[in-house]
Amino acid sequence: MSNLLNSLITELRRGTLTLAVLSQLQTPQYGYSLVQLLEASGIAIDQSTLYPLLRRLEKQELVLSSWDTSESRPRKYYVLSDYGKEIFLQLKEEWMKNSKELYRLLKGENEDGIN
Amino acid sequence: MELIEIYIQEVTRRLPEKIREDIALELRSTIADMLPDNYQEADVKKVLEKLGSPVALANGYRDRPMHLIGPRYYDIYVTLLKMIFPIAIIVSLISLIAEYMIGYSGEKAVLPVVLDIIGIGIWRLFEMAIQVFFWLTAVFALIERMDNGKEQQPLTASLKKWTPDDLKHISYIPKNKAITKFEVFGALLWTAIWATLYFYANQLVGVYEGNGERLEFVIPALNQEVLLHYWILVVIVIGSEIALSLYKLIKGQWTNRIAIANTLLQVFATIVFLLIVLNPNVINSDFITYLMDLFHITAGKVKAWIVCIGIIGFIVSAAISVYDGFRKAKKS
Repeated sequence: MSNLLNSLITELRRGTLTLAVLSQLQTPQYGYSLVQLLEASGIAIDQSTLYPLLRRLEKQELVLSSWDTSESRPRKYYVLSDYGKEIFLQLKEEWMKNSKELYRLLKGENEDGIN
Repeated sequence: MELIEIYIQEVTRRLPEKIREDIALELRSTIADMLPDNYQEADVKKVLEKLGSPVALANGYRDRPMHLIGPRYYDIYVTLLKMIFPIAIIVSLISLIAEYMIGYSGEKAVLPVVLDIIGIGIWRLFEMAIQVFFWLTAVFALIERMDNGKEQQPLTASLKKWTPDDLKHISYIPKNKAITKFEVFGALLWTAIWATLYFYANQLVGVYEGNGERLEFVIPALNQEVLLHYWILVVIVIGSEIALSLYKLIKGQWTNRIAIANTLLQVFATIVFLLIVLNPNVINSDFITYLMDLFHITAGKVKAWIVCIGIIGFIVSAAISVYDGFRKAKKS
């Protein structure tokens, strides 16, 4: 794959990552469980972006975090805050709308025989 | 185990103190999650590879930008740099020349001094350029880090977000009306030169005689004491010339206002010049004697010639400057 294509794909994915992560945090998750959840849904994620992203979301008050020390290994759990839920729903709405529009656009192009 | 701790240290040492511990703890637990139960060093390496470079990871945790000056400030930074450089160059050149003239005792020959000034001047300019570049960059790097706004739009020169109204402040400059930086620079340089000549006339203006290897200054042409009687007026002319030059630099094109200001300045300068040159004692008597011998004419004629040539030359150049200013301002 060419470098240009790679960088374009990365750019395309970048915006969707936040949405994907928010969607999985309706139940509390720790870092690695989140990675597994996302990977199970076929979403490849660069872990060096995911962990900092979680921190950023926490700083933006979209998610809450808490340390669970009850098990052998302490884990930091993240879950959507009320504000985060609200934002997530709006983002989701926006994404649905956008992807429908884009789909129509791309499909229309196809039918016109451009591609 | 060793590798993991080193990795965590590599990440956290790049982070602010207060979040280090928390992130170290979380990273340790995450890495442990990713490892199989009985892991070997190869497993650790595989996991660390997935996490990627510690520098990149640490940078992800930090809010601070990884660039010195981002797109928001870059444009205005470059604009300011371009504006400040020529001004700083002129100022340092003028101060250098002035400094040399003050320290000039008249004992040394002029040519070595001039060469000295050029040498030191180059070094000074180099030094000054580095200073300007450093401080401006430092200030902007600081602003970049203090700006917490999420706005990423580049700023305009007024430090506000761009609107179409900004275009109204930029005048379309036709080529023939434009005041080039070169013109402004030349004018400032000329001011510096004649001002230096004025204040050090008894050491610079006059008759030079070559004696073998070097030029020697023998007879000053003008009477420094008489000349300096007019210093207040001359300083006013110098100040006005610098002010007008800077105003021209900012405006970037000839306008009626600049042409009028230029006229007033030229008239004023001419009056000052006439006052000085018509003073009967301004010309050094030794110099007159020297010319009398040289051309075999009387003292009265020598004076008359000098005064006439001076006045005509000055008035003609002033008139050309005034006419040129209005001509350029009129063009549309």
